[in-house]
Amino acid sequence: MKILVALKRVADPDNANKVKIPPSGDRIDTAGLEWKPNPFDEYALEAALRLTEDGKAPKARAGEVVVVTFGPKETEQTLRAALATGADRAIRVDVTDDKLDGALVARALKALVEREKPDVVLMGKQAVDGDSNQVGQSLAELLDWPMATFAATIQEEQGALLVGREVDGGVAVLRVRLPAVVTVDLRIVAPTSVYSLKTARTHKYNDGVRFAALPAIMASKKKPLAEVKLADLTADSGLKVQYHGFEPPPARKAGIKVKDVADLVARLKNEAKVL
Amino acid sequence: MPPQNPLVDDRTVDFILFDVLDVGALLALPAFQEHTVEGVKIFLGATRRLSREVLYPAYKPMDEAPPRLVDGRVVVHPVMKELYPRLVELGLLNATRPAEVGGQQLPFTVMTLASVYPMAANLGAYGYLGLTAGAARLIESFGSAALKERFMAPMYEGAWTGTMALTEPQAGSSLSDVQCRATPAGDHYLIRGSKIFISGGDHDAVENIVHLALARIDGAPPGIKGVSLFAIPRLRPEGERLVPNDVHVAGVIHKIGWRGLPSLALNYGEQGDCHGYLVGEPHRGIHYMFQMMNEARLMVGMNGVATASVAYQESLEYARNRPQGRPLRSKDPRAPQVPIVAHEDVRRMLLRQKAIVEGGLLLLGVTARYADRAEHAEGAEARQRARWLQDLLTPIAKTFPAERGFEANALAVQVLGGYGYSSEYLPESWLRDQKLNSLHEGTTGIQGLDLLGRKVPAEGGAAMMAFLEEVGATVGSALEAGVPASWCARVEQAAGELRDVTLHLLGLGQQGDAEAMLRHSADYMEMMATVVVGWLWLWMAAAAEKGLRERPEDAALFEGKRCAAQYWIEGELGRVAHWAALCRSGEDSYARMQDAWF
Ligand SMILES: Cc1cc2nc3c(=O)[nH]c(=O)nc-3n(C[C@H](O)[C@H](O)[C@H](O)COP(=O)(O)OP(=O)(O)OC[C@H]3O[C@@H](n4cnc5c(N)ncnc54)[C@H](O)[C@@H]3O)c2cc1C
Ligand SMILES: Cc1cc2nc3c(=O)[nH]c(=O)nc-3n(C[C@H](O)[C@H](O)[C@H](O)COP(=O)(O)OP(=O)(O)OC[C@H]3O[C@@H](n4cnc5c(N)ncnc54)[C@H](O)[C@@H]3O)c2cc1C
Repeated sequence: MKILVALKRVADPDNANKVKIPPSGDRIDTAGLEWKPNPFDEYALEAALRLTEDGKAPKARAGEVVVVTFGPKETEQTLRAALATGADRAIRVDVTDDKLDGALVARALKALVEREKPDVVLMGKQAVDGDSNQVGQSLAELLDWPMATFAATIQEEQGALLVGREVDGGVAVLRVRLPAVVTVDLRIVAPTSVYSLKTARTHKYNDGVRFAALPAIMASKKKPLAEVKLADLTADSGLKVQYHGFEPPPARKAGIKVKDVADLVARLKNEAKVL
Repeated sequence: MPPQNPLVDDRTVDFILFDVLDVGALLALPAFQEHTVEGVKIFLGATRRLSREVLYPAYKPMDEAPPRLVDGRVVVHPVMKELYPRLVELGLLNATRPAEVGGQQLPFTVMTLASVYPMAANLGAYGYLGLTAGAARLIESFGSAALKERFMAPMYEGAWTGTMALTEPQAGSSLSDVQCRATPAGDHYLIRGSKIFISGGDHDAVENIVHLALARIDGAPPGIKGVSLFAIPRLRPEGERLVPNDVHVAGVIHKIGWRGLPSLALNYGEQGDCHGYLVGEPHRGIHYMFQMMNEARLMVGMNGVATASVAYQESLEYARNRPQGRPLRSKDPRAPQVPIVAHEDVRRMLLRQKAIVEGGLLLLGVTARYADRAEHAEGAEARQRARWLQDLLTPIAKTFPAERGFEANALAVQVLGGYGYSSEYLPESWLRDQKLNSLHEGTTGIQGLDLLGRKVPAEGGAAMMAFLEEVGATVGSALEAGVPASWCARVEQAAGELRDVTLHLLGLGQQGDAEAMLRHSADYMEMMATVVVGWLWLWMAAAAEKGLRERPEDAALFEGKRCAAQYWIEGELGRVAHWAALCRSGEDSYARMQDAWF
């Protein structure tokens, strides 16, 4: 199976208090932010690796995992780290965040999919910076491929994937024909969430994603990492989303102590208006 | 939910590696050509995550359920079975070793600064790995090809673990008194004797354990020159099978810290059937061990830094969230209480911890870099000089983090107030862990004697000269970088005091009065460690000035370095004169004191 994984580098959400907005309010100041891969995309990569191996012998890849990111030169470290955890090949589409929106990423990915011809595109359900939750869906639409979002489990079948989707109140299981787009949720990295045809159903993975081992980091230097111009993927680099201004969320007000339950209910009803 | 303890500050580690120690330049040495700064960053990233996500959550459970002796075998916390393979998988066991033994020849400097994370996360768990690396390394350096295949390979592969089995009840600090016996028996020796405190000496996390043990071959001369090194497996390979090798657990030591790792009393050869395999030549055991000692002592030093760091981070987060009291000038009792980090005295306790932890990080980093250069720098002269500096700084890099780290750990408890004294909170457990670091791998007392008695006088004081030159060079570049001239002068003055006292004490030694020379070796150690860390803070202050100019967006990082540098240089260096006076005066209270007068 050949899998294309889309990886985005985001400002570390644990350092959200360092996000600054300049007085002009026309952008977010990213200087000095720490970056890390979008966690959901890392889960997608982990799922892709699990789908292309026998869990007992994870060093050998059955099939191919190609990772792609959109970003400036520095984002190659994110790709290199993905190669070091087991991906075979990487592609960087050279562009900066401020020149992108979800629709443009989806259009460019479509062109890349047509080139690469993967059986599956795996991606995070959303990126934790913008929380847009759109690219996977848009891409499936553009490709006219089946899609399963919020995957909590994936099981490989001949020519299809059985995907357990997180829905309100439980998990809905559906079978998608390949090729398909699948976006993943948090629980996809639990020990028994993903099974390739090769991996025994008794196998249990470590909880979470795998980490790059030093020998693999060394070997990853020799894995191919290609640069592609955005213009080579889509002639239309127009943005559908325009940002009109940024402001920080209002500072949290100090809490108050209520007198009694009646007071609490009254305030929830009249002030918070949640009842 | 409060954010998870980061264990160590990533930006500080990056600052030390890339801005201060210039690892990029180290990677340019031919030995390290396969490595890149990008690869180093990825390796650090993976080590950080394993430490935070996998090792740290297991720390408290392991501390609470120490190893038990069940039917003659030691049972450790079951999570260890999962943790060990994951540590091995990351490549930590043989990262710095050459390709011939499956390693990656990573600079020791990088490994040292990466290892602070797993140590801070779970010291006991990392202990299994550190001991195994040491045991395998001994065979790698001194063992025959057959021993390498039989014992080193399974250890480096992570299938078996190893121990360093030196200590006996009558031979702790004094290893020349080892009594364990080895009787020749064809291709092996029969071993008989007892060891105590052997860490990792038995457990059920892996199949087999190899003890690298000191013993005396029958008829060997007394003292250090009669001690040999043996590999003694728990199960010995016979054909395709592993059979019991007459190694027995006599007892589990109930420890106050490092409770995830068993330390044991062991008996070899109760039934006369314990096979030991000689490593290297007869009677060279202590010599071999001493060659490993430098790295082992640096590992212990980093244990100390790591244990102080994780507690510092915990107390920092606590101080940001604990409302208590009001600012000194606040007169309004209805004003809300402020978080204690707003109190100057709490910031004093935090800044002292920071100065110790980060000074310690660079101390280990710079000593490791001398070690890398001593092996791989271009030019025999550069290698020689690096070796002198490594040897001189090693007892300090072992002792400063253990002793000042213990103080930092006590401050972390103090910041938590009464809660710090409770086992519901973690700082007390790190205080317990830290105490070991002043005891094993040579007690603080032994390190002080080693520093002043051996390392300083070696080669006519060449190492000390080289050190003083390094300080001079740093003072020069700090002035150039725009560090306040008064700080530079202060460091220069302290280094001068150290030089003068050293000359005085060496003079006493030359007159043959070793007792007078070494009487204040403990004070000398404190003095020199304080000067060394002053030098390192001046170096960091210079890098911070440069950083402020080039990366203003990271101002908080650099301002923090400036404050800590000021704290150490203006505050702490003042104590140097006191210690210098003591060393010089030959004050003899405890020398005169007699046993009966206590
Ligand atoms: C938790 C733990 C784990 C350990 N793990 C291992 C292990 O894995 N393998 C191993 O081989 N050993 C291990 N040890 C043993 C450790 O190395 C010894 O405890 C240490 O060497 C000190 O020896 P001792 O305990 O016999 O103390 P002693 O040597 O009796 O020292 C007691 C005190 O006397 C002082 N002293 C002793 N001799 C002198 C002297 N000549 N001059 C001045 N002062 C002196 C010391 O500084 C110390 O303060 C471990 C110990 C502990 C506590
Ligand atoms: C074993 C034990 C037994 C105890 N027994 C009793 C008992 O019998 N009866 C009883 O009433 N209490 C008892 N206590 C409580 C003890 O007196 C408190 O723990 C102590 O007063 C500190 O308060 P705290 O723990 O809330 O720490 P905090 O007040 O939160 O202090 C935390 C840290 O902040 C610093 N700090 C706080 N305020 C300021 C300020 N304004 N300026 C500068 N620094 C500040 C402190 O110095 C400390 O380092 C006991 C505590 C323990 C651990």
